[in-house]
Formats: sequence, structure tokens, C-alpha cells
Amino acid sequence: MIHVGDVVKTYPLAGGSFTAIDQLDLDIAEGEFVAIVGRSGSGKTTLLNLLAGIDRPSSGTVRVAGADLGSLSESGLAAWRGRSVGLVFQFFQLLPTLTVAENVMLPMDFARTVPGGQRRDRAERLLERVGIAEQADKMPATLSGGQQQRAAIARALANDPPVLLADEPTGNLDSVTADAVLELFGDLNAEGRTIVVVTHERDIRSIVGREVTLKDGRLVTDQAERAMVTV
Amino acid sequence: MTSLLTVKLRRDLWATRSRLLMMVIAIAVSLTVFGAVLLAWSTMSREATSAYMSTEPASATILLDKAIDAQQMAAIVAEVRSRPGVIEATGRTQFSGEVEVNGRLLDIPLQVFVAPPDDPMRMAKFFPGLANWPPSPGEIFIGRDSLALLGVAVGDIVTVEVPGGERHSLRVADTVYDPSLSPSPQEQTGRGYLSTASLATSGDTAVLDQLKIQVADPGQSTPSRDRDAVVAVAGDVGEWLQGSYSLSIREIQVPPPYAHPHQWQADALLLSLLVGGGIALLLSTLLVANMLNSLFTQQIPQIGIMKAIGARSRDIGRLYLAMTLLVAAVATLLALAPAVLIGRVLVGQIFAFLGIEAASIAAPWWAYLVVLAAGLGLPPMMALVPLVRTSRTTVRAAIDHTGLPSSARTATGALARLSRIPGLDRGLLMALRNTVRRPARFLLAAGLLASAGTVFVAGVSLSAGVAAIEQQQTTQRDWDVDVQLARPASIEEVTRLLGQVPDVSRVEGWNRVPTGVAGPGQIPVTRTYPDQGHGRVTLTALPSGATTFRPPKLLEGRWLDPAETGAVVLNQITRNNTLPDVRVGDSVQLLIGGSYTTWRVVGIVEERGGGGGAYATAEGLAAATGQPQRVNQLRIATASHDEQTRVGVADALDRALTDAGIEVASAASVSRMEAISGGHLGPVISIVLAIAVAMGVIGGIGLASTMSANILDRTREFGVMHAIGARPERVRRIVTAEGIFLALASILVAILPMLGLTLLLGTGLGNLFFSAPLPFVISIPAIAIWITIAILGAVLATEAAATRASRLTVREALAYL
Ligand SMILES: Nc1ncnc2c1ncn2[C@@H]1O[C@H](COP(=O)(O)OP(=O)(O)OP(=O)(O)O)[C@@H](O)[C@H]1O
Ligand SMILES: [Mg+2]
Repeated sequence: MIHVGDVVKTYPLAGGSFTAIDQLDLDIAEGEFVAIVGRSGSGKTTLLNLLAGIDRPSSGTVRVAGADLGSLSESGLAAWRGRSVGLVFQFFQLLPTLTVAENVMLPMDFARTVPGGQRRDRAERLLERVGIAEQADKMPATLSGGQQQRAAIARALANDPPVLLADEPTGNLDSVTADAVLELFGDLNAEGRTIVVVTHERDIRSIVGREVTLKDGRLVTDQAERAMVTV
Repeated sequence: MTSLLTVKLRRDLWATRSRLLMMVIAIAVSLTVFGAVLLAWSTMSREATSAYMSTEPASATILLDKAIDAQQMAAIVAEVRSRPGVIEATGRTQFSGEVEVNGRLLDIPLQVFVAPPDDPMRMAKFFPGLANWPPSPGEIFIGRDSLALLGVAVGDIVTVEVPGGERHSLRVADTVYDPSLSPSPQEQTGRGYLSTASLATSGDTAVLDQLKIQVADPGQSTPSRDRDAVVAVAGDVGEWLQGSYSLSIREIQVPPPYAHPHQWQADALLLSLLVGGGIALLLSTLLVANMLNSLFTQQIPQIGIMKAIGARSRDIGRLYLAMTLLVAAVATLLALAPAVLIGRVLVGQIFAFLGIEAASIAAPWWAYLVVLAAGLGLPPMMALVPLVRTSRTTVRAAIDHTGLPSSARTATGALARLSRIPGLDRGLLMALRNTVRRPARFLLAAGLLASAGTVFVAGVSLSAGVAAIEQQQTTQRDWDVDVQLARPASIEEVTRLLGQVPDVSRVEGWNRVPTGVAGPGQIPVTRTYPDQGHGRVTLTALPSGATTFRPPKLLEGRWLDPAETGAVVLNQITRNNTLPDVRVGDSVQLLIGGSYTTWRVVGIVEERGGGGGAYATAEGLAAATGQPQRVNQLRIATASHDEQTRVGVADALDRALTDAGIEVASAASVSRMEAISGGHLGPVISIVLAIAVAMGVIGGIGLASTMSANILDRTREFGVMHAIGARPERVRRIVTAEGIFLALASILVAILPMLGLTLLLGTGLGNLFFSAPLPFVISIPAIAIWITIAILGAVLATEAAATRASRLTVREALAYL
């Protein structure tokens, strides 16, 4: 489902360049639930951006949900994102001038996967699923941080994407809410969705099937179902 | 666009309504000016040409030196019609004389156009209101626009003095509409139309001295548009008349084809307006493009989100294109009605200026189309680059977007060094730095304000230039009363008679005679229109020791020597209209009193309107014509220079001369001339000022929008300032200071263009209206007024932004997306 092959990502800097991802190889099979952990600045967000097609690698290949991201144009990437991945990033808040339900319907509008008449229904069902159905017709600014985050997850699920990428989805949440969100991820994974999540939550291991640790852009440990693999 | 994006568009429009409204106003104001002028101009061009051409005006008028009788003229006309290039011909005459209405003598002359009763009126037509051509003997038709000027009505009796001095009492039988002439009130001349039958009572049947012809290009049946071709054909006809009929030709008059006598002025006026309106429109769309750009830029985070959930650039582009088109469409809709309305008022005034009645005041369809296209097309065109660029924003670029371009760093870096200077107010420095933080936005706002200032100061300076000319003329005029004699008289006799009038301190006598200028062996050709007003040449014979005359500015050669004979000085207008290639040292012929006299050109001078055209000494004129020195124009200085004395002396002079049998054409105080002159440039200047006002509105909107965009950019910054304890008053002061810096910068930017535009307009309009550049004057009061307006305007335009900035709460600032 996800293949990262010998990927290097360097950022140009004033004096030379900075290597954020260094010759990274990573394969994630369909249906896996992977957590990416590591210290601040270790390259987690950079890796996720590469998986989401937000950044292009300096070298190496990235294949996600059947598409070689390097060969897609910007609009090709947009269309691919619309159908194949759901993003839950801190940066991607809700659009301020659309209601919560409208925000959830927007990806369906872009991808035209769901027939027009069913979009509202589907949005309501997704919101119910993340537990904020009663907020459907409010403006995002009137929601709490956790409610916004859950609305963003509902939006990420709009087109029923096979892959879900999340960057610190629980960063701003209290521990109870954070647990609920992670549980939701677990349920989504149980339905067969491939999920990659960057997180600092300590008790993540009880939920995910695999934990990948980054350090200085390199893969240090890849721990799957309690089996240690050292690279 | 998807339906949800339509919802988003609707809500975004509402959220940004005040900024969108400013954009709409900016475009609507300038489009109104531009549209009104374009509609007026296109209507005027069509109507003026069709009204003028409806009279089938003569391509050329060949002026015979001596009149011939109707029979001979008819024979000539019949023959001329079959000459190459001539498609129509007719014989006419015209004269100008004193007129009495119901027994009261008027002080304005009546210009009378005369045709034989059997004239078929196929060319040089005019349109009687009720009756048909010809009027019965003993009747006269009066130009409709002369009625009020003359104070006559149909049925009144007017007494007209015909050439030869005889007086005829004629009944006003009908009115005439004649769109081939400039309006009667403007020329201060009444117009009458007679048949030769009404002149025949004097017994002399030789009255026709004009052969009018229409000339067509080879193979064509409509009049030629090529003046050179007309001059050539008319010259042929003239030579043929001289050869076959031994007629002497005084002058051939060839006015510019297809152009009403005042059309070029109306054209010049409207075209300069159109250019001004066009520039205002361009500036306003540029401003709107910039405002839209900052609106789009503000949405970059949202664009990033939409891109991340599957939006393509196309989807985003359509969203913002719809926004742009909506602004353009609303502005165009708003501008349309006022543009049509103002255009109609403008065109009405121009028709009055031209003296024509429009068949229709509806503008041609293409003019509406241009206005629509400009209003709907220009804003999207100007906004296209930012629109495409913004909609192509990648998710990555959106994440990196901070709201400030990298170019800002250089400008602010330089200013950062300033802050190390001790004693400088930190708040002021901050304002200064903020002003230039977005250099493109800063330059646009300063440029808009500067344009408005430039046009304003140039407009006022123009009127100062005109005032300077008038001032100059007034200070150079050191006499009090002008007297025109109907016929030349001996200076000794006149001086003796006037010496007996009390309060006369000095009398100077001149002779001004109508003349034609031609090269050796040629017939003089002029651009004179049938109203005889334009392009007419007068030879002024200056008495030796003339004190009331100052030689005009020399362009070439020298001025006349005292008592010099055989030497003539021409002014530049005469040279352009008659022999454009004549140089100092060349020989020319002047037709004076029916005979050709030969002169050498010794100088060319520059005069602004009202000039005589050609100058010789009194001795020179006497020598050339073989007649004693005589005068027909008197300049009299009075003992005191108040208006009462002047008028009293003028009346007394009139009586003294008339009693002695010397006929006086007019005797008036010079102050009346001052009242008449000058008015022509007035409308132009008020229009330039109107454009300046329109630009000022756009500039104000530009300033306000720049300031509010600057503040939006820095919402977080202001939030932080409040959070660390800055008081609202202090924030407000910083923002207001920014606006004032901008206004000051615009004043600096405007200096050079201001000088340039004033020079350009002064030269262009001066050449058009006075045949010479206006003196270069920059109006200091205008500059002072502009600076005051700019700074006050800056404070006002910044007010909303400053208030918003000072009231921003920390919470709002941090919630800002
Ligand atoms: N646009 C960029 N330009 C230059 N360097 C960058 C850029 N983005 C990230 N980096 C650098 O790359 C490294 C990895 O950054 P990244 O955002 O992936 O870290 P992270 O693991 O997500 O950290 P955190 O847990 O704090 O979010 C960091 O050292 C960062 O400074
Ligand atoms: Mg990160």
C-alpha cells in the first residue's frame, strides 16, 4: 500500500543544505496501523508530507495507494489526494466560512465520488461516527479544539480513502479526548484502512500494530507486534 | 465551481464586503468618467459630421475680386460643373453690416448670406423652419440661434445695411437652422439669409462674388476628404476663371473637409478627457487587481486546506475569477446609468458649442460595447496574474506562507539601521518601516495619490497659464477706448476731431485691412469657413512711433524697421494657414483692395489668437497701394482710466466722428474686450479638474485599502502589541503616521510628473486654442491645496484602519486565519 524507497529529502539552507530524511526505506502493507515516533526535529512531519504528496523527495521513490507520486502533476496529486488519502494535520484546520457539515462535504464535492443528493447524509453519518453530530450546522470557530479535530477526521474520511495520514491528531487534546480519537483510529483500522499516525502519545503501542522510530531522518527502530527489528 | 464553493464564495463576499465595495466604487467612478466621455465623443463625432455634411458644404469657395451678375454666374456655374473633379457648383455672395431691429441700432453686426432666388439649394444648404427658399423680395430669414442675440422675432422689421451703404428694411419671414456655421452667440454675430431679389432695388445687378464648388476624388460622387486635392481642383478652376473670363480671384477658401468649424476643438477636448478617463480607469483597475491580490493572498491558508482535500487549481481559480467578475459586473452596472446620463449632459453642451441639433443623442452601439468590455474585461485582465498564481499555490507553499514577501526584508533592513540613531521616536520609526514593508503595495498607493495630485496641479496651473496670458495682455494694453471706423479716414482729420472731445489724452490711429497671402503668381488660399471667422488674414499697418503696440515674440528673422517699405512680418498662424513653407527673405503677394502687392517677408512672429496675422509699417502700406496713409482703427488713452470715463469718452467719440460724417463701426471701452476673451479654455480646465477629483477618489480608496490590507497582514502583530501592553492610542498613532508617510511620499513622487504634465498640457492645449504654448506656470496655491488635501485625506482614509488596529483584541488576533 505504501512504499518508500531510498528517499532523501534535503532542505536548501543559507549555507549549504539540511538533510531532513536520509536514505529512508519503508514499506507499509494494506490494513496496517503504523505510528511514527521520535524526538522533535527528527523528520516525522517531513516523512508524512512526502507520503501525502505535499513535498517531493530530493531523490528516491514514494508510492502510495497504487500511485507513484513522483510521476503525478500538481493537479494529478490533488485528484489522487481527494480519492485516496485522508489527511488529519494540525495545519489543515476547517474552512472558517463553511459549517462543519459543509466542511465534511467539501472533499466529496471536489472528487465527485458521492452523488450530490447523498453528500449531506454521508456527512451527518461521519460526524455521528466521530461523535459531534449535533455540531453539524455550526461554524468551526464556535467549536472547541477537540471538536474541530474530530470534524477534521470526519472530513478526512469523506471519500472513504484507503489510507489515512495523521500528524499529531491528539496534540491539543486532553487525555480522555485523545484516547477517544485514538480509539476511533483503531476502529477505522479494523475496517481495513491503512493508517499512518505521527504521535507523542505514550500508550500508543496498545493500539497500533507497528511503531517506527526516526532519529535525524533515519529509521532507528521498526517494532512490529512486539518483534524487534534493528536496522 | 462546485456548489459548496459557491456557498463559500457567497460567505466570503459577505465577509469582505467593505473591501469589495471599495473596489466596486473605484472601478465605477473611473468607468463613469471614461464611459461618459466615450459615449459623448462617439455621439458627437457622428452627429457633428452628419449635421455639418447635411448642408452639403462647399469644398472650396472661390472669391471673385469683383461681383458679377446672376446671368454670367449661372453660365460659369454650368461650365464649372463639368470640369474635372467638380461635382456641384453654385454662385453666392455674403456681406456683413450694421443692423437695426424695429428701428433700434444694434452693436453687433449681421452676417448675411445671399443666393439667387432660383438657386436649387443642392449645396451650401441651410434649413428654413417653415417657408421654402427663396424668401420673397422684402423678406429675410434669420438664423434661429441669432434670434435671442438680435432680440428679434418672426414678423419684426430689421433694417440691413448692404454693401454700398444702402439700407433695406426687411420683414423677418422665417428662421433658419444652419449647422455649417459656428453658433451665432459665440461669434457675437447675427446671421441672415436673403435672395438677390431683395438686393436688386439698388439697381446694381452685379452682386455675386462667390463661386462655391464641391470637389470629389476621381471616380467618386461624394465630396473629397482630401484638402490638398480640393485645393488643386479649386486652383485649376480659379486659373480657368482668370484665363477664360478675365476675372480676378481674390482668394480661394478651403476649410478642412468634413469638419464643422468647432469640431476640432470639441474633438481635442473630448479626446484629452478620454485619455484622462482611460488613465483613471487603468489606475483603478490596477488598484483593484492589487486589492484582489491581497484578498487572494489572505486566503492562501484556506487554499492549502482545499488543495489537501482534493481541490485542483482549476476549482480554486474559478472561485476567485467569479469573485473578480462579480466586482467588475457590479461596478459596470453601477457605472452604466450615470455614464449615460453624464454623457448626455456633456454631449448636449457640446452640441450647443457646435450649434447643431442632434438627430439622436443615443451613442452608437459600439461605444456601449467598449464601455461594457472595459468594465467587465479590464479587472479580470489585470487580476489574471495574481489570480492564476494564487490558485496554483501548492499545499507546501501554503504551509510556508507567512504573509510577507521576501523582498520586504531589504527595505526594512535599511530602515532598521535608522533605528540606531538615538532620539528618534520608536513609534514613528515603526510606522515608517511598516509603510515600505510591502513595496509594491506602497508604490501603487503612492502612485495613485501622486497621479491625482499631478492632474489636479496641472489643471489649476493651466488656468493660471491662461490667466497669465490675460494678465500680460491687460498690462500691455495702455489705452482705454477702441474705435473701429467703417471706412479708413485721414489721421489728421480724426486727430483734430478727437482733440475737441474732453478727457482724451492721446490718439493713435492704425489701419487694418483684410488681405490674402499668396506666393508669387499664385491665388491666395486660406482655410476660411463660410462664417469668415477662422483663418482670415488682416494686414496691420503700424503708425510710426506706435506706443500701444509691442512687437510679439520673434520666431524667425527680425521685426520691422521704422518707416520701412516693402517689408512684411507674418505670424505663425498666417504662415501655417497660407504658405506653410515660406521663409524669411521670401517674396509674397498680399492682395489689398483688389490688387496684388509684392512684399518681402522679414520676420515670423508668434501670437496667441486675436493677432492680426501680418504686419507692415503705415509707410509700407501707403507705398504698396500708392495711397496716402489712412486709419480705420483708433486707440485712445483717456485722462483717467475708470470705467465711467472710458464709456463716456467712447460715446462722445462716436458722436463727434458720426457728426463729422465719419462712420463708426464700434466705439467701446477696452474692458469689454477683456470680458469676451479667455473663456475658451474654461471647459477644458473644469474637465481636467473633474478627472483630478475622480483620480482623487481612486487615490483615497487606494490609500484606505492599502492601509487596511497592511493592518490585516499584521493582525497578529497588533495582537501581540496589545498583549505586551501597547495602549490603543499608541497603536492608532502608528497607523495614522503610516498613512501620512504614504501621502508625503506621494507628494514627492508627484513632483516630476507634475512639472511634465503641466508643460505637456500647456503646450498641447496652448497650441490648440491659442496657436502657441501657454506660458509655463505652476500654481503654488494648487500645490498647497493638494498637500493639505493629501494629508487630510490620508488621515481620513486611515481612520477606519487605525480604529480597527487599535481595537483588535488579543483573542481576535490569535484566532485569525
Ligand atoms: N521547510 C523547511 N526548511 C528547512 N528545514 C526544515 C523545513 N521543514 C523542516 N525542516 C527541518 O527538518 C527537520 C525535521 O523537521 P520535521 O518538521 O519533520 O520534524 P518533526 O519530527 O515533525 O518535529 P516535531 O516533533 O517538532 O514536529 C527539522 O530539523 C527542521 O528544522
Ligand atoms: Mg512535526
